[in-house]
Amino acid sequence: MSTLWILYRQRLRRDRLQLAVWVLSIGVLGLFSVSAIAKTFGDEASRAQVLQLATATPAILVLRGLARGPALDSFTFFEIYAFLALLAGLMNTFMAVRHTRAEEESGRAELVAATGAGRWSPLAATVLHGLVADALVSVAVALGFIAGGLDPAGSFVAGLATGAAGFAFLGVGLLAGQFFSTSRAANGIAAALVMLAYLLRGYGDATGTVSADGMTVTAAWPSWLSPTGWGQQTFAYTGNRLWPLLLPVGLAAACIGVVVLIMARRDVGASVLAGRAGRPDARASLRGTFALAFRLQQGTIVGWCLGGLATGLITGSLGSAIQSTLSSNASITDALRAMVEAQGTSMTQLLVAALFEIAGVLAAACGVQAVLRMRQEEAAGTAEFVLSEPVGRARWLGSFVGLGAISVVLVMGFTALGAWVSLVASGDTSTAVGDVWQTALAQLPAALIYLALPAAVFVVWPRATIPAGWALLGLGVVLGIYGGMLGFDEKIRDISPFTHTPVVTSTGTDWSGGFWMLAVAAVLALVSLALMRRREIGTA
Amino acid sequence: MDAVIKTTDLHKSFGHVKALDGLDLEVREGEIHGFLGPNGAGKSTTLRILLGLARASSGSASLLGRDPWTDAVELHRRIASVPGDVSIWPNLSGGEAIDLVSRLRGGSDDAAYRERKRHLCELFDFDPTKKGRAYSKGNRQKVALIAALVTPAEVYLLDEPTSGLDPLMESVFTREIRRLARENGVTVLLSSHILSEVEQLADRVSIIRSGRIVDGGTLDSLRHLTRTEISFWQDSVDPTSLNALSQVHDLTVAEGRIKFSADSDRVHEVLPLLGSLGVKGLLVTPPSLEELFLRHYGDHVTPAAPEPADDGAPHRRRHRSAARTGA
Ligand SMILES: Nc1ncnc2c1ncn2[C@@H]1O[C@H](COP(=O)(O)OP(=O)(O)OP(=O)(O)O)[C@@H](O)[C@H]1O
Ligand SMILES: [Mg+2]
Repeated sequence: MSTLWILYRQRLRRDRLQLAVWVLSIGVLGLFSVSAIAKTFGDEASRAQVLQLATATPAILVLRGLARGPALDSFTFFEIYAFLALLAGLMNTFMAVRHTRAEEESGRAELVAATGAGRWSPLAATVLHGLVADALVSVAVALGFIAGGLDPAGSFVAGLATGAAGFAFLGVGLLAGQFFSTSRAANGIAAALVMLAYLLRGYGDATGTVSADGMTVTAAWPSWLSPTGWGQQTFAYTGNRLWPLLLPVGLAAACIGVVVLIMARRDVGASVLAGRAGRPDARASLRGTFALAFRLQQGTIVGWCLGGLATGLITGSLGSAIQSTLSSNASITDALRAMVEAQGTSMTQLLVAALFEIAGVLAAACGVQAVLRMRQEEAAGTAEFVLSEPVGRARWLGSFVGLGAISVVLVMGFTALGAWVSLVASGDTSTAVGDVWQTALAQLPAALIYLALPAAVFVVWPRATIPAGWALLGLGVVLGIYGGMLGFDEKIRDISPFTHTPVVTSTGTDWSGGFWMLAVAAVLALVSLALMRRREIGTA
Repeated sequence: MDAVIKTTDLHKSFGHVKALDGLDLEVREGEIHGFLGPNGAGKSTTLRILLGLARASSGSASLLGRDPWTDAVELHRRIASVPGDVSIWPNLSGGEAIDLVSRLRGGSDDAAYRERKRHLCELFDFDPTKKGRAYSKGNRQKVALIAALVTPAEVYLLDEPTSGLDPLMESVFTREIRRLARENGVTVLLSSHILSEVEQLADRVSIIRSGRIVDGGTLDSLRHLTRTEISFWQDSVDPTSLNALSQVHDLTVAEGRIKFSADSDRVHEVLPLLGSLGVKGLLVTPPSLEELFLRHYGDHVTPAAPEPADDGAPHRRRHRSAARTGA
């Protein structure tokens, strides 16, 4: 018991700052969203209008949630819950991998296992750590909503729904850590599963059944495959059901059970998917720094491209599903559809624009990772190995940034391909089908900024590269994609590259924001290359 | 051109830490130069500056007559190196890492290269098919060593190249470096804590301490500065006459033996007296660099009180040299 306590304290100590940032951000986001909604849609009538528009426009449902009436509290839950659960999920997967696979990878786990702690205490301590963190998240969300003036009982249900979804992903993260031998792969897969849960829920909500008045939606089955979807089923404020939370807790328990079974059978440091034996000689293609960068990043790139492809396929099949829902639905939706189309976009275009925004974030994340890999190479000392050979520092940097640019293009390309294939397969013949390529192109400039900006940080302040890379991306997403909902001022939202992404419409597209961002990215990249020539290489 | 490596008044600081504090190092063409010093003395920092990975705060460094910081890429074509802290890619096999590094140096993949690689893997008893993360520390070191040795170079900058190797592999390494020096006339700068390695290989050594060269020269010239240890059975010999000689230092009587040390180049002047005293069980221990090494390392060691009973030889030597430094 005491070793468990010691190991738990060590985890808490190590994560105290990170944990505080996660928990506070999640709680504060909740609070912000209530006040923003109260400010923008003050009365019930305007909320009812928005809700009608939303339930008639499944693209909005994908990014929001399950509509349960126009009251301020249920409307807030509809708007923000899925995003809070997404954040809680990421917090948990990173936490799970950090204290299990990453420890094994660094060899520290071996030290601990050799002491009296054995192999189970570290796992138990990590689970305890996650439980406490998720309890804190639950309380933070509840307090945030209560402070915003929402009903206390419903707020606690909303908080628990967030914490429980997070806890499910703790189990998922722990399980991913058993399957992969590197923390990088485990983190990537676990985070992708969190995204998948978000999208499955989005798919289920968007294809759900809308009530006659357009105020409530009953989710379709895909939502029931997702911990985020389970959290929504609590119907916080309107139903306050707690039983759906047994599902995420059960999933966590099942994952932990499997983890225990696997750990009982494997060595410390080993993994289920073991690395294969290597080749005695390198392939002829492994020549030069670009080839090396590609070799190091190929798994990551394939992963993000699959994510893009999945997003594209979901977009396309949603498009066709929606088309059929709409044609069979009541008259108000027809009126709304007319309203949307009067603005020069079709329903499918709206959906493509909304989901490609997410794909744009995936592409940006892929770009960020190329730069982070460079920093990891430097910190591990392998960069020194390469740069002791006749390789210029600028060329080395250029290889990773160039690879990042290519991978950004690939991710968006696969997204567009997925959407195009599934729209064509569904028999859609509108211009929206061809527009997917343009919409994908429009996402590139913002994503390229997320390549150039971390590269500049890497050159100027190497130690900050990894935290700054993710923090900048997170900030861009919160301000640019959720900023309006959170009530940020337009000037503040404009800091985010994502707000400048050109919007493709049938009536003509304004590409100027894209060109500006391209110019900024190019200047940043060139400055980084120039400064890299004068930078020392170190491991600290 | 005589000096392949030359640094003059080289300084390097990291914040408040002065890693190098006026380092003057000279390595001549074709020599194997030992670079000795305790932990944190600045050996790796010097080598990183010579590789153009770090930039000197002040002072100058030149390598093959050029500036290692500005001409790094060109110089690296003529240099092979082993870093002080070897790390390799966890998802590349050892063989792949070796090939990659050799290709970065512009080496070709011809049959001669493959034969050299195979030969070195065999010499070092190294399995190139494992993934990087699966190698032990010594095997990771072998990746760096083989990568450095497999393509020809003019200058070798080796930072503790044998750390983690077992003694057998150490001797393989020593043999290979000797062969390179003999056959190709290469220049080698070899940093180490391990005296025996340097003693076996080096033509000249420089001893660094706190970022400055504190001693240096050929091994022979350094040995002149050391003292030879002489001891014999006490029996009924009266050592007072010995004590009177200026060549004799630190005379002690312990465990029934009289021992003292004498300046190495003046030992012969003591021998006649020993002969006339009729000593028995005479033991003359030639000076080793270790002694010299400890003298420079031991600056912080406070002189210990003479201990009457002491049977561990290395311990005894350290004790004595510490005492002498303190004096
Ligand atoms: N990147 C860095 N940041 C801060 N201090 C550093 C850095 N690199 C080296 N130092 C400091 O500079 C000094 C010299 O270090 P260096 O690594 O050159 O020693 P060394 O002689 O190679 O030691 P060892 O035998 O342990 O390898 C040490 O005090 C070290 O702490
Ligand atoms: Mg060192």
